[in-house]
Formats: sequence, structure tokens, C-alpha cells
Amino acid sequence: MRRRYGAVTALDGLSFGVPAGQVFGFLGPNGAGKTTAMRAVFGVTKLDGGEIRWRGRPVDAAARHGFGYMPEERGLYPAMELLDQVEYFATLHGMDPRSASQAAAYWVGRLGLGGRERTRVDALSHGNQQRAQLAVALVHDPELLVLDEPFSGLDPGGIDAMSAILAERAAAGVTVLFSSHQLDLVENICEAVAIIYRGRLVVAGRVTELRRGDQPRLAVRVAADRAAAWSAGLAAGLGAVESVRPDGTAEISLASAAGSQAILDLARAAGPVEHFAYEDMSLSEVFRQATGASVGQAEAEHASARSAGVTTGAGR
Amino acid sequence: MSTVDAAPQAGMTPPPQAGSALHTTWLVARREIRLRAKTRVFVVTTAIMLVAVALAVALPAILSGHSGPDRIGVVGGDAAVNGIVTEAGKLAGGQAVPVTEPSQAAAEAALRGGEVSAVLVPGKEIIVKQVPLGGVSGSVGTLAQLAGLSRLIQTVPGAAAAVEHGVTLPVRGLEAPSTSLSSRLTGLFTVIIVWVLISVYGSQIALGIGEEKSSRVVEVLLSAVRPVQLLIGKVLGIGVLALGQAVAMVIVFVIAGFASGSSLVHGATLGVVIAGGVFIVLGYAFYCTAFAAAGSLVSRQSDVNSTIMPVQLPLIVTYALSYTVIYANGANKFYHVLGFLPPTAPIAMPVLYAAGDVPVWQVAVSAVLCAAGTVWMARLAVRIYTNSILRTGPRIKLSQAIRESRHTA
Repeated sequence: MRRRYGAVTALDGLSFGVPAGQVFGFLGPNGAGKTTAMRAVFGVTKLDGGEIRWRGRPVDAAARHGFGYMPEERGLYPAMELLDQVEYFATLHGMDPRSASQAAAYWVGRLGLGGRERTRVDALSHGNQQRAQLAVALVHDPELLVLDEPFSGLDPGGIDAMSAILAERAAAGVTVLFSSHQLDLVENICEAVAIIYRGRLVVAGRVTELRRGDQPRLAVRVAADRAAAWSAGLAAGLGAVESVRPDGTAEISLASAAGSQAILDLARAAGPVEHFAYEDMSLSEVFRQATGASVGQAEAEHASARSAGVTTGAGR
Repeated sequence: MSTVDAAPQAGMTPPPQAGSALHTTWLVARREIRLRAKTRVFVVTTAIMLVAVALAVALPAILSGHSGPDRIGVVGGDAAVNGIVTEAGKLAGGQAVPVTEPSQAAAEAALRGGEVSAVLVPGKEIIVKQVPLGGVSGSVGTLAQLAGLSRLIQTVPGAAAAVEHGVTLPVRGLEAPSTSLSSRLTGLFTVIIVWVLISVYGSQIALGIGEEKSSRVVEVLLSAVRPVQLLIGKVLGIGVLALGQAVAMVIVFVIAGFASGSSLVHGATLGVVIAGGVFIVLGYAFYCTAFAAAGSLVSRQSDVNSTIMPVQLPLIVTYALSYTVIYANGANKFYHVLGFLPPTAPIAMPVLYAAGDVPVWQVAVSAVLCAAGTVWMARLAVRIYTNSILRTGPRIKLSQAIRESRHTA
């Protein structure tokens, strides 16, 4: 995918695949090009180059009828009643009137909006408007669900409820693609991710593998061994101790993942093992390792570039 | 969280059919109709407009008196006098019926009771209940003249011969008489409908599109609907409401006109009404897409008024000039030109036709030009709309919207 806005390159040869029936995170700092790419799925943004394929075929209007979309800039008709609105979008996606009204009623109830069917959308609370927006994206039972920043502005309870619904849809066979700039927030919510920066793919893959990295690290603590003396017997072929924490936890970089059980045996021989776990990186560490910049730096850079862009734009 | 409670399966009647372009456009149009027709504002304004039309038509006729035949009491008359009464009614453009009264006292009683509207005492006087300001008119006024004349003939020798040669000078016009005032008033009524409908519904289109853009719902819509479907659906839906209101107003106009005997409908030719109907549709068709494009240029609804002003300008100018054409005799060259320009023809042409300034074939030519202009305007508007509808931020310059759409088209 390629797309330029004047002097700004939003998508610079971005390419990735989303496995079917999974919750897939599309991550990157603000300004990385996530929204542009998601809009391109719906033809709302036209690409300068490249194409979006669904089940091996270029996406067209008929395919989009089976997609559900929740844009970053949430939007519903303010003066329209909730149920009418959800029903309307269901019919726009090709549902017949009866199934549209059934599905609208189901999702309004399912998302906890029962009793507000006849409320105008602009009279709903902010949280309920978010739910209404989700109902609109879900009502026609899409096979692909595209959600732009679905977790932004949600409280912890809301995040849990949202991720439960995404997991439920994925379990029902729906491919769920969502974006987020809060990389660490969503690492437990999705199975696989693509992380992008400056319109290009940084890394993609399963979350567990990405967080483990090329050089998996173990953290092992044996009871009453504050100096991690047990690790002296660690063979070079298994791994090397990077550091020992004050509580006696040894951080060991593994030579290969297969060696983990041998290390466990060694530790158990020295005493009761209190802690034995992979030391996974957070996704923002993955991002920093791959780009050399932290997410915060990347976003600050984007913000300053944007304000500069606005000034030149007004000058033209 | 209940994963067992599965969502109802989407009732996808074969998607390509159900989602066909026309069907989607109709869905958009239906939303506009349902949502707007339901609002109290729409119901109240429609009611007010219809009552206003009825009153405008019927009030002058009601205030100017009843329109049934005048019953004239005649005291001691004969066949000749009765003939004069009947003739006077005809000359006044109505009908007068002589009622023979046995005595003047009986006649005056009948007058007070409202059984007759005037009493003729041949050779002496005409009695009415109350002399109106400005003197008597209609059958009674004519009767006064005729009865006076017949007395003159009877009492003055040689008068009959004089009357035979005519007591008034013949009236002759250099040009054929222009259309009656009532035809012009029908024309005025037409342009008022064209003007009101285009401005009211045009700004509703622009505001509606501004709302879709400012509430950002347009992005959700465009994930399922093509921009041109959204645009056409919107103007069609609002157009159906506008046309419905226009038809209701015309029906009320005709009913109220005939019921009250208003001269508005008596003088109106069918041609003026048909021309008006054609140009109401053409005018809406021409302007609806232009208003839509204007609405798509703004990001905030409050900015809509500033972008629709240039669209309304030709309408305002033509509308104002129409009054001079209707009340003065004939239109100038400039107004004639306006009658053939697509943006101004919907108002100017019905006026020119009602005023009898243009033949039918010129009306037809103007209608064809206007239809062609409508197609051109729709294409331009779709370009502007498609290019602007997803762009937020400051107001988009028109030139920018056109240029960039050419670029991407």
C-alpha cells in the first residue's frame, strides 16, 4: 500500500496479511499510517499504489458489504433514534428489513443498550455512543471487523468488555483487525500483530513470539540463593547469565529455547525453584528494538511534523 | 459474557442484488423521507404553508363579497325593466336576477332581510342597504347606469337616436391585450412556490450534508455506500418531500380558488400551471446537487450558510426582478435572457409565460436548456462532493475541490 498526502507519505510500501478468525492488532505510534491503511480497506481513502485483498481477491463494494467498520472519528446521525440507526446501517449492508430489525434489536441488547432503543444518539452518554458505534459495526454479522482505536477513551471495565466481544467474534470465525497506538495495553488482547512506523511494516507475527524475541531470556530464582550461585554450573551451550537481581533472580539469555528444561533441572537440583519464567519484552520494547526509537519519541516527532505541516498548509 | 448466545445470522438475501446501486440509493432516500416527514417542524410548516395558500387565495374573494347571482328587487316593473336588470348583470361580469316586489315598502323590507341585494324603482332610484365607500359597483353599479340611460331615452326627445350612435367613445388598443392580471398572479404564485421550495429544501440538503460531515457519520456511510449513491439518495428523498408539499399547495390553491370564486383560478390558464409544474421540478433538480456540493465544502454545520449564499444568489436576483415583470407591463431584454439561463430559468420562465411575453416553444427551449444544465450541474456537484466529503479542517476552496477531483477522476 502506498499513499501520499502532498509532502507527507502516509503509507510507504506497507504490506501485511491478517490470518482469518483471529484478533489481530494493527499497532504503531500515532501518525504511523494506521488510519490511512484501515480507510483504504473501505475505499474511503484511495491508494496511490497497491491493493487490498480479501480471500485472495481485490476488495470491491460487494466484499465490503461483509465488512464492519468502526472509524477512529466516531460518527453517527446525532438526531436519529438508536434502534433506527443500527437498523439503517444493517440495511445499507444488504440485510432485508426483517433480519435488519432483529439483528439491531439483538445487538442493542447485547451491548447493554436495552431500554434506550428510542433514545436519540446525541442524548446517549459518551460510553453508550461508543457502544452504539460498535453495534453499527457488528449488526450485519460481518466476516471482517475493522476497528480503528476501539480502546481509546475506554475505562478498564470498558476495555475488558470490548476485548471480550472481539474475542467472542473471533471465536465465531470473524476476522478482527483493530488498531491501537497503546502497544502495551493490547498485548494480551490479540493473538498476532503487525507493528508499523512511518508507513512501513516494522515487525509482524504472533505476540508471544515477538515478545520473546530472537534471544529468549529466562528469569530463574532458587529459594535462599541470593547470589544465584546455582547458575555457576550453567553450561555455555545452554545460555549465559546476563545479570542477577538483588532478590537472587538470575536473568539468563538462552542459547536455544530447547535448553529451558535443562536449566530448570539444574535449578531444581540446587533447591526449590520459586520463580521460573520467560522474560518477555513488552510490545513497546519490541518496537524500540526494531526502530531505535521509543513510541513516545515517534509520536512527539509526528506531532511536531504535523504542526509544521499545518503552518505551511495555511501559508499556501 | 455469553459466547453461547450467538448473534442472529445476517439475513443476506443475495448481497449483489440487495446491495444494488438503486436499492442502496432508495434506502438513503427513504431515511431522509421518514426522518424528516416525522419531525414536528415538517408537519407544522406544511400545515402553515397550506393554510397560508388557502387564505391568500380565498380571502380577497371572500372579502369582496359573495359571488352568487345578485337578486335585484324591482318595484312595479315590466318585462323591459327586467331585461335591463338581467343585462346589467351580464355586463358587470356576473348574474343579476330580477325579483318583482309588490310595493316599495315590501322591497325595502326584503332589502333589510337580505333577500335582495338592491331595489330598483324604475325611473326613480336604486336603493341598496348601505352605499359602500367608493360607490356601488358590480351588477348594481351597471344597473344604475343602464336604468338611468333608459330613463334618458324615455324622457328626452331625440335621445334614442343619440344612444343608437353611441354615448361613449369606442375603445381601441394598439396591441392585443396582454394576459389578464389573474394569469400574472398565477405566475407569481408559481415563482413563490419555486423560490420557497428551492431555498427551504436546498438549505436542508446543504445542512443535512454538513451534518453528516461534521458528525463524521459519513465515513461509516461511505464504508458501505458510494458517494454518488449517498448524494443522489439524499436529494431524491428530500425532493420527494418538496414535491409532495408543492402538489399539496397547488391542490389547496385550486380548491380554495374555486370554492371562493377567486379570480386567481378563473383567469389562470392550464398552460401557466403546467409550465410552473415543469419548472418546479427542473428548478429543484438543478439546485439540489448544487446545494449538496456547497454543503460538502464545510466541516462545521454553522459554516453552511456562507457556502450556500453564492448558490442562492441567482435565485434571489431573479425572484426580486419577477415582481417588476408581473406588475409592470412586459419584461425587458435582460429578464428575457434570464429566462433561458438554467440557473434563473426556473423562476424567470414561468413569469415570462404567465405575463404573455414568450410563446410556448420558447418555454420548451428553455426547459430543454435547463434540463441540460441540470445534468452538467449534477456532474460538477458529484465531483465536488466526492472530493470534499471526507476532507475535514478549514473550508475547502471551490477551485481546489474541482481541480483535485479532475486530478483523481
